[in-house]
Amino acid sequence: MSPSVLQRIASGDSAAVRECMDQYGPLIWSIARRLSRTPSDAEDATQEIFLDVWRSAGRFDASQGSDKVFIAMIARRRLIDRLRKTSAEPPMDPVEVLETVAWADPGTASETSIEAEQAARALAELRPEQRQVLELGLLHGLSQSEIAARLSMPLGTVKSFMRRGLIRVREFMNVDAKGVLSEG
Amino acid sequence: MSDTRPQGQPDEAMVDLLIKQVTEGLSPDEQRALDVMDSEMASAYLRDLERAAAAVTLAGSGAERPLPAALSARIAQQAAEHFAAANQVTDLAAARATAAYKAVHDQAAAPSRARGGGAYGWIAAAACLVLAVIGWERSPPPAAPVAVATPPPVVAPPPEKPVPPTAAEQRAALLAKADSLKIPLGATKDPAAAGVTGDVVWDPVTQRGFLHFTGLPPNDPSVHQYQIWIFDSGRDKRYPVDGGVFDVPADAGEVVIPIRASLMVRKPAAFAVTIEKPGGVVVSGRERVVALGQAG
Repeated sequence: MSPSVLQRIASGDSAAVRECMDQYGPLIWSIARRLSRTPSDAEDATQEIFLDVWRSAGRFDASQGSDKVFIAMIARRRLIDRLRKTSAEPPMDPVEVLETVAWADPGTASETSIEAEQAARALAELRPEQRQVLELGLLHGLSQSEIAARLSMPLGTVKSFMRRGLIRVREFMNVDAKGVLSEG
Repeated sequence: MSDTRPQGQPDEAMVDLLIKQVTEGLSPDEQRALDVMDSEMASAYLRDLERAAAAVTLAGSGAERPLPAALSARIAQQAAEHFAAANQVTDLAAARATAAYKAVHDQAAAPSRARGGGAYGWIAAAACLVLAVIGWERSPPPAAPVAVATPPPVVAPPPEKPVPPTAAEQRAALLAKADSLKIPLGATKDPAAAGVTGDVVWDPVTQRGFLHFTGLPPNDPSVHQYQIWIFDSGRDKRYPVDGGVFDVPADAGEVVIPIRASLMVRKPAAFAVTIEKPGGVVVSGRERVVALGQAG
């Protein structure tokens, strides 16, 4: 099996850096735009995420998942840290119009990555309001309190939906990894 | 996939904290509460939840837009600087190996070498030298003299790779530039700062710089690391620019560390070194500032 672009970066292949930017730049930019408060924040965040990717490439383990999910994890960590540091600023406007999310369909999400396909299958099983909580929290970066305000939903319900949804996705991913559905 | 996760299930409180960490981050109090829980189980479960959250993010990423050209250019420039800095000599062991290699190589009257380029060649050369020395030490004692002269043992010539300039040499070159700034670095009241002296050399044009100091105590990278911060007059002073993390080995003496600014620094007002958790942090709590230098 040929090494992934991250493994090539870790081994000092300078051409892989440009490939990584071309291959994953649009994904990182797309995530950063959604999870940043301003376009300028998104640009700064994208630069920081790429720096994290260069620093972390050596820790990528193909047996633990795809390079795409590894990069999405790095991006999310950085963006959540950035959102956290601006948490003293006013929360996002509860009536602000957020970009509509088009979830990948189970069966076609594997074009993105195997993990996206697993997540799409898990999401398809959730009730629409559960899916909406995951969308607002994971794709738009709203805190659980902000989601509760936006959806006029009790905070406890938001927490419960987020918890069950994420655990369900985790189970689907572990099913594929182990071939056994864990209890939940 | 290998699975070395701990047995059992995390309790509800731990799961709630981990989900909050993955979705919106933890407050200092929540982080402290998580820190006292079973760290092995928390780490394994956190990894799973982060993967699940990343997978959901991918499933909902939809049509992606290309990076703006100007941003792409900045990232490419930053990557070039990052990997150039990564190839510089900051490791004292490697520096010693280089010095040992140079001594033997000079004795062998090797042809002159050009400067610049990657670090892999000279590391390989140093490794060749170590192997050659080990080989010597394990050789049997020489036999009685014989009539036929035998050539003395010869260290295999290393590949003719250029030797990169050390961080100290690059700092000196940067210092010679008219545009560069030199900012004295002083100790703070932190106990680890006692005796710290040094300076920062920074080139605002190329956004390159070096931290140069003596007196910082050695650190255990698995416990904490030093992190450099750049306070930019053009940015909110609450959020200085991350300049990278570094370690100080046990017998460091005088140390030169390349500064790797994560963002463009428009007008540096101050440089600071803090003690942080391994890997550094995005925003420092500034509980332990061990060195500080302010631009005039």
